[in-house]
Amino acid sequence: MNRKLGLRRCVGRLWHHFFFHKMVEPSNPAPTAPVSPPVSSTPEQATLATENPPQTLPIRDSKPTQPTGDAPASTDGATDKPLTAAELKKKAKADKAARRIRQKLEREGNTTGSTAPTPSVGAQPRQPNTPKKDAAGTGSAQKGPRAPPPRRGSGPVAQTGSVLVEQKKKKDDKKVAVFGHLYGQQRRVTVGGATKEVHPAILALGMQLVDYTICGSSARCVATLLAFKRVIESYTTPMGTSLARHLTTHLSSQITYLSTCRPLSISQGNAIRALKLFIAGIDPSTPEASAKISLCEYIDSFIREKITVADQVIADSAAQKVQDGDVIVTFAGSSIVKHTLLLAHNQGKRFRVSIIDSRPLFEGKSLARDLANSGLDVQYSLVHSITHAVKDATKVFLGAHAMTSNGGLYSRVGTALVAISPTASPSTASSSTRLPMPTSSYPWTPPVSLAVPTPDTHAPPAPENKKGGNRTPAPESPVIPHKTSSSPLADWHNTPNLQLLNIMYDVTPAEYVDMVITEMGSLPPSAVPIVHRMVTNL
Amino acid sequence: MPSSSLALTPGLGSFLKCLKTNPIDTSIETLISLLKRRQIRHSRSCATATAYLLRSVISACRTTDSAKLIERVQSVGRRLMAAQPREMVVGNIVRRVLGLIRDEAEDDRDAEFALSDIGSESQPHTPRAYDDASLPLDRDSPFRAEDRSSRPPLTSMFSLLSHPEPENSLPSTPGSSSPSGRFTGHGPSKDVRAEVLEGIGEIIDELGQVDDQIAAYALDHIHSNEIILTHTSSTTVQKFLLKAAAKRKFTVIHAESYPNNHEATHATVSGSAVSDDDNLGLEAFQKPLIEHGITVILIPDSAVFALMSRVNKVILGTHSVLANGGLVAAAGTRVIARAAKVHQTPVVVVSGVYKLSPVYPFDFDSLIEYGDPSKVLPYEEGDLVDLVDVQNPIYDYVPAELVDLYITNLGGHAPSYLYRIVSDHYRKEDISF
Repeated sequence: MNRKLGLRRCVGRLWHHFFFHKMVEPSNPAPTAPVSPPVSSTPEQATLATENPPQTLPIRDSKPTQPTGDAPASTDGATDKPLTAAELKKKAKADKAARRIRQKLEREGNTTGSTAPTPSVGAQPRQPNTPKKDAAGTGSAQKGPRAPPPRRGSGPVAQTGSVLVEQKKKKDDKKVAVFGHLYGQQRRVTVGGATKEVHPAILALGMQLVDYTICGSSARCVATLLAFKRVIESYTTPMGTSLARHLTTHLSSQITYLSTCRPLSISQGNAIRALKLFIAGIDPSTPEASAKISLCEYIDSFIREKITVADQVIADSAAQKVQDGDVIVTFAGSSIVKHTLLLAHNQGKRFRVSIIDSRPLFEGKSLARDLANSGLDVQYSLVHSITHAVKDATKVFLGAHAMTSNGGLYSRVGTALVAISPTASPSTASSSTRLPMPTSSYPWTPPVSLAVPTPDTHAPPAPENKKGGNRTPAPESPVIPHKTSSSPLADWHNTPNLQLLNIMYDVTPAEYVDMVITEMGSLPPSAVPIVHRMVTNL
Repeated sequence: MPSSSLALTPGLGSFLKCLKTNPIDTSIETLISLLKRRQIRHSRSCATATAYLLRSVISACRTTDSAKLIERVQSVGRRLMAAQPREMVVGNIVRRVLGLIRDEAEDDRDAEFALSDIGSESQPHTPRAYDDASLPLDRDSPFRAEDRSSRPPLTSMFSLLSHPEPENSLPSTPGSSSPSGRFTGHGPSKDVRAEVLEGIGEIIDELGQVDDQIAAYALDHIHSNEIILTHTSSTTVQKFLLKAAAKRKFTVIHAESYPNNHEATHATVSGSAVSDDDNLGLEAFQKPLIEHGITVILIPDSAVFALMSRVNKVILGTHSVLANGGLVAAAGTRVIARAAKVHQTPVVVVSGVYKLSPVYPFDFDSLIEYGDPSKVLPYEEGDLVDLVDVQNPIYDYVPAELVDLYITNLGGHAPSYLYRIVSDHYRKEDISF
């Protein structure tokens, strides 16, 4: 239901993008465009290679005074005659420096500016004619010999240079140094620049991933698979290749696009791997139509088996853990926890649910709404009141994004805070008391080599992880600008030394997890590598 | 004090203004209603307001009988504490004033019983004995105020020495007492009231300086290139970090403490903090950490655990500190302290001594105040508000075992040592008055 809606929205969005993109695109390069011409503007400037970039900047800003580079030649010719080449050069330099100062002043003075002639090249012959240029030229001619202009000139130049450098630095150091390894390539924000190979469905999905419309491990996985299904449906094998060979590369370009939108989740990665394996196994001799049908069937069955049915199995066995009178704490909005709780409620069990939510996604809100609408007793609070919410909890249900092979729980950031808070109430049973944690095993189902996505996600079960190597958070860290309109943070991008960090996942150490509920049964977290092995050996 | 703007919004500023003009009973009522309506919020503002109020109460109380004075202060104190029982600093200040009065009364009694000429001299001695014995570090006047309460043992020790040889003590006094100038002026039959007023003045001074005194210890605790995690916009913590920032380079990770304090935190972090009127505009002139070249990383509260493995030290502000070493602090503090425990990261709590309360917590829930639930779930989501039970606790109780060190204006203490400082500062008979 939801999924369908999402798709429809996605198509709408797509059209939107197609229409507006054309208009948006030019504006994208626009800021960069003015930068380039000045750099290549005049030959003189090019010679002063080191000073060049700084000095181009002011020029760009003030069109009227643009044609600086040529001035020295003319003025020199006017005032002084017997000068050696070296002296000439020096003088030219000095003049330019002096003029630059004047330009600066002028720029402050005249904002609208004279109908400044075109930048760069065309300026050369016209230059002496404009009155302003003349003034500048004579002024510099007088000043040139007397004062120590090079020095004076070098002052401002250095300054502008340093300003530039600083600006660059500012931009750079918005990346939190401690987590430098989490910043991958630039995240994509628009569909702009996508190659034409990328299927519209994928474009739409990408945008939904970017703004977290589709969020959550299984939702992302399902959405990706469905989008791939559409890609495959509209795919025709080009001449001269076979489907098994070419489709994989075609999909790869889609995948690359998706991963620029948001780094692929582990579930997505595993699903893609399974799909590629299946494609590779298709006999090249099968006709394209039937191959496509079998592929679509495979995708459907993957979703059904690994996600839909697995969810049901997990929800079934997790719901059995819920008893009358329980107070169940959960964090954020896990779909599988929702299924579990609804199922337990439908089985007639009476219990209370306490949902803990956090900024900035507030995923728990929709969970709270769904549960409350089906008549459960729901309490809603934020991360700051974890201790109060957990105080009288009997069980904590947490959704998992994935399990690390040393038993760690890799999940939405904040999960670990809930897991480490001791539930004060002495509950009856042994291991199931604290953390039965439903997760389906598909996150690690198909061949997962231990070295796959990032060292964070599947750490080798080695002592090394105590050092925190694997407790570091996430393969992605979108720095979502906190939604505080007109807040003091509105300008944080330009505030030096201020950085915002918003990671998406954290890893709960295995000792705070009592039980892992999977479709293969309920296990202690130490059994994770065994499950992993069983599944991979199948 | 910027008066015109402050007078408009009820708070510490408006209260102090009204204290000057209005009769004392009106002022008491004003403070009670301010406390009840939570228009005075921060611990320090509450403490300052209480101290000023008690000063006017005592100066308005035309009696020299210390018993009557105590009774009067107790009755006012009870009303204030009843108005806002969770604001424990109010009680702390009342207790300290009571202790002051008792000390002065005892001194007077001692003076009467002692030899007439020595009795007059014993007063100038005590402060000096104090400076020597307890804290060579702290020369400032505020310390005397609070240290006065621990005077009885010292006085008696001193008199042990001085009584046998009265002729010796006489010549020594002029030289020794001149440094601590104002104490020399006491006449033999000094009014108890005047001394108490002076003592309260010192408490007020202390409240003004406490953050700077705490900050003086910053360099001992913050080292180069450390990563410090903090929470909320506590000015004590900010000053502490700023002091260290003058000498060292380090990184601060600041949890934003959503939803109760995030706006203030954002303002603190980005340096656009407008001095709210409780701060009396003192901090308005302070540069934020980022302008000292300190990298500040703002994170949502949920990311605390994920980042904790990189953090060297957690520095927390607090609302009040309890005698067992536990503390009541902004909600979310406990979970941060627990995460620090899991990672074996030291947790340092900075707090003025005035926040130290002689209360032992038995019922933790009674310490917790609950705030506006619409901050958690805004009323725009009306459908959800109807169905769901929403909680917004403002405070957390953090047990002593999660804290490694307290830094007060007297220095660093282990949580288990706090009961000792409590007994130094409050008289036993005042603990439950």
